Amino acid sequence: MNRKKYKQLRIIVTFFVSAVVSMAVIRDSYLLAATGVLTGMVFMVLVRVKAKIRTDERESTIQEKAARMTYAIFAPTIGVAAFLLLLPSKGGISVFSKGEWLFTESLGMVFAYLTLFLITVYAISYHFFNRKYGGGGNEE
Amino acid sequence: MGVAAMKNKLKIYRAMHNLTQEQLADKIGVSRQTVIAIESDRYLPSLGLAFKIARLFKVKIEDIFTYGGKEE
Repeated sequence: MNRKKYKQLRIIVTFFVSAVVSMAVIRDSYLLAATGVLTGMVFMVLVRVKAKIRTDERESTIQEKAARMTYAIFAPTIGVAAFLLLLPSKGGISVFSKGEWLFTESLGMVFAYLTLFLITVYAISYHFFNRKYGGGGNEE
Repeated sequence: MGVAAMKNKLKIYRAMHNLTQEQLADKIGVSRQTVIAIESDRYLPSLGLAFKIARLFKVKIEDIFTYGGKEE
């Protein structure tokens, strides 16, 4: 199987999974949705392994750059949003202290923890890849 | 090193060997888009891919890829 056929097959499987999930939503069945998605994923992994489809290196480069840009945009955005949402509740502003805007504090906390989680995952993966590609050692 | 500093003769070598972009892509295990991007100097291939290309055409890497930047 060449890359073109693999891409066509991927489109067909995507349509199949979408149809199954739509049907699951109509029938209100979580099990059907989960089964459909899992079947699609397992099928595509098996096809990829059997047909020995390798990731194109240009595609990998694009993915790396897109991931880096996503992190560079998302982390500060969500961090600043958390700060802005938490600031009024700590500042004792009357409209917030009445509890009418209590949800902003909760949302701020969720954003703050998400930011921490994102930074932690980045730091761990950076450390892992740094070691994998020869960094961190003092060997001569 | 910027992409602009590198030039290549991949298109010439491909024509010399009567290969289409699709055929070349299949032989070196990349997509046709990657071959197009390399030929138009918009993407720098990895060292491994550059060796693969050079080996396919039975030439040295520097025969296909040339560095046009300033010496430091």
